[in-house]
Amino acid sequence: MPSFSAEERQLLDDSLQGFLSENYSFERWKKLARGPEMEGFGRAEWARYAELGWLGVALPEAAGGAGGGMTELGIVMAAAGRHMVLEPLLGTIVLAAGAIEHAGTTAQRDRMLPQIAAGKHLMAFCHAEPGAGYARDYVRAVARADASGFVIDGEKTFALGAHAADTLVASARMGSDKGQVCLFLVPRTASGVRLNVAPALDGRLGATVSLTGAKVVADAKLGDGHVDMLGTIDRLIDRGAIAVCAEACGAMAAVTQATVEYLKTRQQFGQPLSKFQVLQHRLVDMSVSGEEARAIVHAALQALDDNAPGAQQAVWAAKVQTARSARFVGGQAIQLHGGMGMTDELAIGHYYKRLTLCETLFGDGEWYLKQIGAAAATSAIAASAT
Amino acid sequence: MFIRAVQHNAELDAFRAEVREFCKSEMPAEVRAKQARGQHLERHEYDAWLKRLGSRGWLTGKWPKEHGGLGWQPEQFLAFQEELGRAGAPPLISFGPTMAGPVIYTFGTPEQKKKYLHGIIRNETWWCQGYSEPGAGSDLAGLKTRAVRDGTHYVVNGQKIWTSMAHWADMIFALVRTNPDAKKQEGISFLLIDMKSPGITVRPIIGITLGHHLNEVFFENVRVPVENLIGEENKGWTYAKFLLANERVGNVDIAKLESYLGQIRRLLEETKESGRALAEDPLFQRRLAELEVGFATVKALMADQLAAARTNGAPSLMGAAALKLRGTELVQAILQTGLDVLGRHGMVFQSDALHAGWNGELIGPEESADVIYEHLYRRAATIYGGSSEVQKNIIAKGALGL
Repeated sequence: MPSFSAEERQLLDDSLQGFLSENYSFERWKKLARGPEMEGFGRAEWARYAELGWLGVALPEAAGGAGGGMTELGIVMAAAGRHMVLEPLLGTIVLAAGAIEHAGTTAQRDRMLPQIAAGKHLMAFCHAEPGAGYARDYVRAVARADASGFVIDGEKTFALGAHAADTLVASARMGSDKGQVCLFLVPRTASGVRLNVAPALDGRLGATVSLTGAKVVADAKLGDGHVDMLGTIDRLIDRGAIAVCAEACGAMAAVTQATVEYLKTRQQFGQPLSKFQVLQHRLVDMSVSGEEARAIVHAALQALDDNAPGAQQAVWAAKVQTARSARFVGGQAIQLHGGMGMTDELAIGHYYKRLTLCETLFGDGEWYLKQIGAAAATSAIAASAT
Repeated sequence: MFIRAVQHNAELDAFRAEVREFCKSEMPAEVRAKQARGQHLERHEYDAWLKRLGSRGWLTGKWPKEHGGLGWQPEQFLAFQEELGRAGAPPLISFGPTMAGPVIYTFGTPEQKKKYLHGIIRNETWWCQGYSEPGAGSDLAGLKTRAVRDGTHYVVNGQKIWTSMAHWADMIFALVRTNPDAKKQEGISFLLIDMKSPGITVRPIIGITLGHHLNEVFFENVRVPVENLIGEENKGWTYAKFLLANERVGNVDIAKLESYLGQIRRLLEETKESGRALAEDPLFQRRLAELEVGFATVKALMADQLAAARTNGAPSLMGAAALKLRGTELVQAILQTGLDVLGRHGMVFQSDALHAGWNGELIGPEESADVIYEHLYRRAATIYGGSSEVQKNIIAKGALGL
């Protein structure tokens, strides 16, 4: 996989930190999150991200992208986590762009990817269904071919950003509930598409999607021929999982730093709280826990970019560690801020909520541990059989 | 001592049945409907229910009979709490029955007892707690709100913060500084203040729950009659600590823990993974078992403290600290399990669904918003009533002599 040089990565990070530090204060965040437009993010911000080249960072140069890989995407997501960016990066540039790039035909890629890089098209990934839990292969939605294309019926659980997406990438089985799994580009405003818009825990908006006789054109099916997309979906969800891990790393760094600063200024018993050794050690644990996550996430991103044989295991391991770290760091940030951490007015609680989402999206730590255990058992059985 | 004297009470089963029947027949229909949906109650709705419990004397069942209580044994109090939790009853509110009441009947004048205890027993008076200040959190004794004697009154100036339900309260019990020159614990007095007094302003604090539960309370030249002083002037820290021990026992709400566990069991039934209920997943079965064992342990610790309170008039500071420490860790573990389930529904937080009249469409199990709300709210369980770090300091110093 292509990727940036060390200098290019630094420049990307500088661009992200520079712009967001200047233009994405917590005050600005509140205005965007709770603005009167009820979209929960900024359209103008999205346009700026496109100009700065962030939206196409991991897209091919031919599509107007920068030709980066997963590591570059991780750099963007980490900065997004640090500043609690509200715009739909996950749905659009991580998941949907990945789906089009890996499952689409050349024509579909040529049509869609430049629009994504240019910030002209918002997307959401609608795969999980009620009854699926975190299982990746549970698809009950069904698509049937008709004269003009396909008709889709099914229910999709809450997807971030679906409320504002121009196009939803939805999975469905072809013909019947035993059919092959395909991915479809479904215009949000297509007839037969109904959304129930709601806030996630962290206040970002999204929607559940009901497809009832939803009609799409023949070209809406990603890819040509009869290829089951479950393998591609598996890799897409890994991509989503590692992206939210990177996001969590940025959020953990920011909230740990804020907690260190607070304890240096908060006076109790005639001295700053930061003088109490038990609290110093807690801050150290927060810091080290964040570093553990950052290191293992970095390793997993590298493994994905190298197309290494154990890349999927590396992603799963990273998700386990990051989920643990996120829970600990987010929880302790509130604990050490005391009552102040419990207020809507401070950023701390919002970081906690964001970290909780990062922890659980695409599967929580316990779920990934179970997958790692099951995979190890399977390979042990295979080894003893040979 | 390893073994504590336990009186077997053969009437306990009959009492449990009585409480169950009471919850069934006496809970107002609108309260029951809201509770079932996990919606929040208005003050008048709480009032309707709590007054009915108060008419039986159950809000203050563990108070000694001489002060208007029923003299419940620990086992009876625990049984009462468990049954309320199982019936999905609204939470009890501890500021009067657990905090103000015992201070008043233990340290108050006959006039104070006559004036205030009845209102607590019958839930006719709502209390709130004036302890924390912006500069006095863990370091509570560093409080600065001043009370200066002026003839037959104290004149109070200052600010309290994190005051739960101050916007609903009729009375506040407040720690105030009456001698700024003494060592900090020795210049504090304990005052009962009418919330309708001129000069009191209540300002809401919106929590991470997105709800209004907490407040700031400002005092500007508030005149408080000297007969509202508890005990002696400048001896308030003694009463404050007595109250804190009771508060910490009260921080562990058995009825709530019981009802949270019920919610978790329902969430596990209603949530599927690959089409199978999570309740069938051995990992979640183990998690649930772990929580049940934790609950049994906390109830056993609680029984000890209730017994100590009966024998000595108050729980022990160290025992209450240990109970508070573990009980609040348990409540967070239970609600974390709830969140771990709700992640499978996309971690949606429809906080508007907590209010009556919302007519949106729910995503996921009906109790989702309530469980997430409680999860967020109980992040404060290891902060309020003295943070876990403070409880550990109390045990280190008091119990281990470090």
